[in-house]
Amino acid sequence: MRIRTAALAALVIGAVLFFAFNLKFPTFPPVSVKAEALACIGGVIDDAGHCSKETVFPITNSLLTTVVVDVLLVLLVIFGVRNQMVPRGFQNFVELVVSSLHDFALGVDKKNVAKFFPFVGTAFLLILLSNFVGLVPGVGSIGSCQVVTDPVRLAKMEENAAKIKPTSFDALPQQCDHHEHEELVPFFRAPTADLNMTLALGLMAVILIEYFGLKALGLEYLVRFFNFREGPMFTVIGFIELLSEFIRIISFAFRLFGNIFAGEVVLIVMGYLFPYMLPVPFYAFEVFVALMQAVIFSVLTLVFMSMATQAHGGGHDEQEAAAH
Amino acid sequence: MTDEGLRFVAMALAIGLGAIGPGAGIGVVFSGALQAMGRNPEAEGMLRTYMFLGFALAEVPFILSMVFGLLIGFKII
Repeated sequence: MRIRTAALAALVIGAVLFFAFNLKFPTFPPVSVKAEALACIGGVIDDAGHCSKETVFPITNSLLTTVVVDVLLVLLVIFGVRNQMVPRGFQNFVELVVSSLHDFALGVDKKNVAKFFPFVGTAFLLILLSNFVGLVPGVGSIGSCQVVTDPVRLAKMEENAAKIKPTSFDALPQQCDHHEHEELVPFFRAPTADLNMTLALGLMAVILIEYFGLKALGLEYLVRFFNFREGPMFTVIGFIELLSEFIRIISFAFRLFGNIFAGEVVLIVMGYLFPYMLPVPFYAFEVFVALMQAVIFSVLTLVFMSMATQAHGGGHDEQEAAAH
Repeated sequence: MTDEGLRFVAMALAIGLGAIGPGAGIGVVFSGALQAMGRNPEAEGMLRTYMFLGFALAEVPFILSMVFGLLIGFKII
């Protein structure tokens, strides 16, 4: 009953605010495909979010968020696992998560789960937390205002500024002044909304897949790529297999990056179109997508690993039959 | 139509047309897996493995078209 009253009150207050102050929709925030630099080691920021050429190591906002996520995960493990024989409180939760992940991995490959699970489980938790961090309010919307000096971007800004009508949101304090050519550089950005992070994860996954394959089968593993014994058909298939190993890196990287970045853009666009109730279902959908992408990344890695460790041709069906 | 406008049209076409096939393909993969799981729930573990494998293979054309679309859009090719 109290919740219903509160919701009704919020609706009435919202409607009064909307009509009384004639609120307009906020200006379209800048969407940047690449992560913006917060600091540049060995160089200076010569444009909003851009490092100058002599920079050795740019510290981007997604790098900062990655460190935050890492610290969160490490703290979770330190406080979650203190080797109580009878787990209490938070340790119950951590053990539930890890054991359900482990059960899922057991269902895919019973024989090698001990070898695969450390990477797959860690990747799942890291990606899940990274995706969720991007949905926290303030990530991507709180930052510093920096002046744009690049002529191409300046021309685009002028063009956009001519289209945007002044709104009452412009009067709010702490807003970047578009007439002074200032642009928002967020302090935080979801790590998986940066192609560098997802490419690194994809590279790690594919290198580990090859490593496990080589370790389990020895040089026999390479037969599936360079197969000259069973006729020209298998030679061609082998080359396609080799090509698909490299496509895997790209597809791992772009699937994760594309889904998370597109999700953020969709939320921004929906907030721009109608900021009052419309973004809520999309936000819920993005929470689902965040979970789904973490599952897809880890399950695909697991499946590819288990395929790499199975011998070429034959043998496969017996192992599957034995596993179930 | 300016050069840049044509570039955007090309990017939109590359990504949009590339999404048709994989969209249908992924739908077929998951519907087939769900039907099989409904008929034979014991085989769920094995089916899940192949379901994700089929999903990954069906998605490759879209990833490629998206990469090429972005390459066109950002004036790399």
